[in-house]
Amino acid sequence: MPGASVEAADDFEAVNELCRERGWSDGLPIVPPTAERVEQMLAYCDRPWDEPVAVIPPRYGDATPLRLAANAVMAGCWPEYFPLFVLAIEAMCEEPFNLYGIQATTHLCAPLIIVNGPVASELEINSGHNAFGPGRQSNATIGRAVRLALVNIGGAIPGLCDMSTFGSPAKYTYCVAENESASPWPPLHVERGFAAGASTVTVVGAECPHNINDHESLTAEGILTTIAGTVAITGTNDVFYKAEPLVVMSPEHAATVAGGGYSKADAKRFLYEHARLPLGRFSKENIERRLRAKFPERFAKAGMDAPVPMVQDPDDFMIVVIGGAGKHSAFIPTFGATHAVTRALKLRDGQLAPSVEAFRRS
Amino acid sequence: MAELRKRGLVTAVICSGPFLKLGQAQARVFGVPDLPLIVIPHPLGGLSLEGVKGRAEVAIPKVIDLLKEHIR
Repeated sequence: MPGASVEAADDFEAVNELCRERGWSDGLPIVPPTAERVEQMLAYCDRPWDEPVAVIPPRYGDATPLRLAANAVMAGCWPEYFPLFVLAIEAMCEEPFNLYGIQATTHLCAPLIIVNGPVASELEINSGHNAFGPGRQSNATIGRAVRLALVNIGGAIPGLCDMSTFGSPAKYTYCVAENESASPWPPLHVERGFAAGASTVTVVGAECPHNINDHESLTAEGILTTIAGTVAITGTNDVFYKAEPLVVMSPEHAATVAGGGYSKADAKRFLYEHARLPLGRFSKENIERRLRAKFPERFAKAGMDAPVPMVQDPDDFMIVVIGGAGKHSAFIPTFGATHAVTRALKLRDGQLAPSVEAFRRS
Repeated sequence: MAELRKRGLVTAVICSGPFLKLGQAQARVFGVPDLPLIVIPHPLGGLSLEGVKGRAEVAIPKVIDLLKEHIR
């Protein structure tokens, strides 16, 4: 097998001890990436094993299929998950995502992977109850494989290159599917220009979800008012950038909003107009050094009552429908200096992959 | 900064203490492992102008030393 390998005793504890010593770990036990397991993982790889599919900052390590497969094994992925995991790595290494910033920042962000299209149900990626939480192997291990690759290939070692002040639980794993069947609107990937039948990942440099509880509102405006009130805060990165914060609506909240005649674009416009704070709610230094300096055309001479929107443009809000029963939504701010990237699952010849089985080497 | 150093210019990156290891790692990645890193006390963010000037006063002697070495 080409590429570097490490000799270790054929012993679960010994391999885990070695990985712990070398920092090749997220702190949880890993599945030893034996040559046999890595080869099994690569059964779902249609590319040359030693050709990098991306380089992962800040180390700018070569993400070859071989290395990615080792991390996928360590994370506990089934081989069927491998194509989607590779796609997620490729997406977050695209320039607009700013993976370097997301890896090295003091901010607590992690790449959130939102899956759309047929592969979500093929791999049983949870989009319903507890989608962001534990339970499904695909959610848990695809997200974990990403984190391990970001550490082991990208060099995001805490305190060394990962300078997150206090991190977040989302840095263990952060992978969900959109609940397309429960959404009253077109799914995220269609909204972003992809065919409904394409399978995609959308990567977002994201904080953890902040819950939005609304058990009382009976109208679209009511739900959106509660969401707007939760979104309008002084402490996001997004407010200081042309950023794309995410609003996750539960199916019940989405049904109420859509039932009031609101499209996603209408909902975004409502949020843009209502999720605002008066300038005076920010500290003196943030007003001078951030808002006035960054957006002079809006704030250079603005008084303390001037409205500060949470995004620069209504369409900057991203809306997805995720979850099971329950009248909650969630606000997910981002790193700010990042743009979401959507990428479609394709075979080596550029054709959209109808299924992960299409990647299988015969 | 790495590019400027490779072209023979006197360069340095100023970083606050906790970020020294990141700076060293990045210098290696960008092919300039000997890139001078001038360490100032942390934090730099959130300081008044007086505080920033204080940090500069820590850095300036080290910059002067660098220049003197380069001239020698």
